[in-house]
Amino acid sequence: MSALPPEAYVAALAGFDRMSVHRLAALLRHGTPEHAWQVVSGQAPASGLVANVLSDPAVREAWQRNARDRDPSAVWSRCVELGCRVLPYGHADYPCGLLDDLLPPPVLFAMGDLSLLAGRRVGVVGTRNATAAGRQAAMRLGHGLAEQGVHVVSGLARGVDGWAHRGVLSAEGAGRPIGIVASGLDVVYPREHGDLWAATANCGLLLSEVPPGVPPAPHRFPMRNRIVAALSEVVVVVESRERGGSLITAAEALDRGVPLMAVPGVPSNRAAAGTNNLLRDGAAPVIDAADVLTVLQLDHSRSATVRMDQRPRPRTDDVEVYRVLQREPRTIDGVALVAGLSLVEAAMRLARLEAAGWISGADGWFECAGAPLR
Amino acid sequence: MLAAVRSATLFGVEGRPVTVEVHVATGLPAFQIVGLPDEACRESRDRVRAAVLSSGLSWPSCRVTVNLAPSSQRKGGSGLDLPIAVGFLAANGQVPLEAIEGLGFIGELGLDGALRTVSGIAPMVAAMRPARPVVATSGFREAQGVVGDDARVAGTLRDLVDALNADAPWPRPPDDEFVDTDEPPPDLADVRGQGMARKALEVAAAGGHHLLLVGPPGSGKTMLAQRIPGLLPSLAPDVSLQATMIHSAAGVRLPAGGLVRRAPFRAPHHSSSMVSLVGGGSTALRPGEISLAHGGVLFLDELGEFAPVVLDAMRQPLEEGVIRLARARASATLPARFLLVAATNPCPCGGGPPGACECDEAARLRYLRRLSGPLLDRFDLRVGVMRPGVDDLLASGGGEPTAVVVERVARARACAMARIGMLNADIPPSLLDSLAPLHPTARLRLREQLEAEQLTGRGYHRVRRVARTIADLDGAGEEVLEEHVVTALQLRVRLRVSSRERVA
Repeated sequence: MSALPPEAYVAALAGFDRMSVHRLAALLRHGTPEHAWQVVSGQAPASGLVANVLSDPAVREAWQRNARDRDPSAVWSRCVELGCRVLPYGHADYPCGLLDDLLPPPVLFAMGDLSLLAGRRVGVVGTRNATAAGRQAAMRLGHGLAEQGVHVVSGLARGVDGWAHRGVLSAEGAGRPIGIVASGLDVVYPREHGDLWAATANCGLLLSEVPPGVPPAPHRFPMRNRIVAALSEVVVVVESRERGGSLITAAEALDRGVPLMAVPGVPSNRAAAGTNNLLRDGAAPVIDAADVLTVLQLDHSRSATVRMDQRPRPRTDDVEVYRVLQREPRTIDGVALVAGLSLVEAAMRLARLEAAGWISGADGWFECAGAPLR
Repeated sequence: MLAAVRSATLFGVEGRPVTVEVHVATGLPAFQIVGLPDEACRESRDRVRAAVLSSGLSWPSCRVTVNLAPSSQRKGGSGLDLPIAVGFLAANGQVPLEAIEGLGFIGELGLDGALRTVSGIAPMVAAMRPARPVVATSGFREAQGVVGDDARVAGTLRDLVDALNADAPWPRPPDDEFVDTDEPPPDLADVRGQGMARKALEVAAAGGHHLLLVGPPGSGKTMLAQRIPGLLPSLAPDVSLQATMIHSAAGVRLPAGGLVRRAPFRAPHHSSSMVSLVGGGSTALRPGEISLAHGGVLFLDELGEFAPVVLDAMRQPLEEGVIRLARARASATLPARFLLVAATNPCPCGGGPPGACECDEAARLRYLRRLSGPLLDRFDLRVGVMRPGVDDLLASGGGEPTAVVVERVARARACAMARIGMLNADIPPSLLDSLAPLHPTARLRLREQLEAEQLTGRGYHRVRRVARTIADLDGAGEEVLEEHVVTALQLRVRLRVSSRERVA
């Protein structure tokens, strides 16, 4: 038997019963994946955190049983057969956006085009049993975003998730579907999404935290939602009930500082109670794709700001003045005093910064304008 | 018997010569004044008669007719009391006719025969030339300012009659010698911080640029404005004379010496009426504040509180340097070339640093709309004045004293006068290219501003004039450099109308 790549062990471990993100991360930190395999199968001693986990007999038994039943080479060959890539944390192709996440997946299984993650991405999520209006909104949103070359991240679930991706697939723009699923990449769930699943894998990107063959389990869906939020630049909730699962995605987005938007619904629509609550709590409303594009600074028709900061970078001298204004707005006199400049010199620098659009002045006060200078 | 006495009346700020003809004849006792006298003038009958009798002179029962020639012109004021009395006495033979030859009389009489001065002595005395004026003792300084030592004085009608009859020498003019009792104008050294505002004062004084100070209450706008007259040089002789005439005509106390030499500072309250500001009145056409500020500074505090119609009325004099007043019976042109300095809050609540303002946008807009438009456009300099911060108060010492700045201002003014004979603020646009040539980088800055629509066409010329003045203050030579243009632009603060819109 030829030597298995370490990814094979990781892939097999990720599919264990009673495995969690924390436990897998602890195992992989414990040593090489092969060593981790030996530890869980009882052939090597455990230490530290892993020993702690293994002290629970239920876990130890489950893992030893799994280690006997599941052959890493079988898992690996299944992955190869599917064309599914295994990306442990730290792998060269591991998505950058997840590297510094609050809870980065220890391993990802990917089918499709990983380079899509370098593009602009918007998460569109919502309830499984959407109203007709909700389905239509999801589809139009997905379509509109894809037309503008924005990729749509979603969970491939029934209802809003599915319709958003159908909208993406119906568009002729450069936007592609990115599906994050809670089961193995060969376990289509829900069943009726088989074609959507295949289309996503073919022309978009399909990601999962679990290896092929693992069936969906209730506890995996919330974990999946966190990846949707983490990989999105903006999360749009199309329809959600008062305690809907998509609100978990919304909460994960807020935890990660991802802007949250919601499609308003009529108050009598129970399926929109959750989204309307989000709006009341301050989420930005989405009527059509342009609202999202504005937030992404891609919509030039509604927003004066442009995607690329086209302002010329200020000179080193001027940056000093800019930093003074970053602390608080000041007058020319104030700038001259704080920066130790003559009035004329301060005036010159302020004029250059203002002409370039870095600061704005009114009533004699100057303050920073637009996106901050990095 | 007939006697003709020279005198003058006041019209606007001009004196107009009047000949008072008095005819005394036998007939039913009567005393009539003809020749369009106004109410005060007609009342002089009673004063003159009482004064003559009180002075120990006689008023025989006869028919007295007084004609004020030219008869078609309206005459007003009580200054004709004295010439009427003198005319009567001459016609009556109590004063020799030849004694009043070559003299002109102006003054009001008290019932006891005392001589009182009236407003407008200076222009009236000027109008009577070459006649030697005879005025009340208290009016001597004003007359002296115009005709020098030719002026003669008298304290009472009796003194005058004695002098005319050669019974007594002419009363000596008051010898309260020329003592400048006016306090010196406040000094710039008292101002802490406010670098840009100081700069703006200096530029305003040097180039004659109108200045708008924008800042919250208590930031020192008034304090700054009061320091501008101190930066202005003494008035040129002709302007000094005009100013004297105006002040005299308006009855404003003239400084010792009789001539207004120092640049006047007028600060009318914002409740002032239009007539009080631009001048007017049905017959006399009294000069208003803008004329009183001729050659000096007109300071309008709380500009936004002035009635819009009042502010609108100032636009024409601002352009032309004179105010043309016209009424049904009369019209006059009064000089009104002044430096307009105004102060305003940026918004009703007073504003402050960004975010401090509590006003909603509609209120701000309403407030600024009163200023915006044509009047706002006439300010070459708009500068923000801030409450001095802790930094400023802790900074070492005050700024430059007035004495230092005033020299720079004088140099810059001389520079401008030598160049074209007018202040930089008055340079016509067509001459800007030759008088204020721009360095290429300076031109680039202005082009950027124009392209960004931060600057209007009119604003462009104004910035160039201001930049010219700044260059003159720098003594930098004929070419206007980038730093001058940039400073000029920074002295033209934009006003925030709303979070989005700004008034350029």
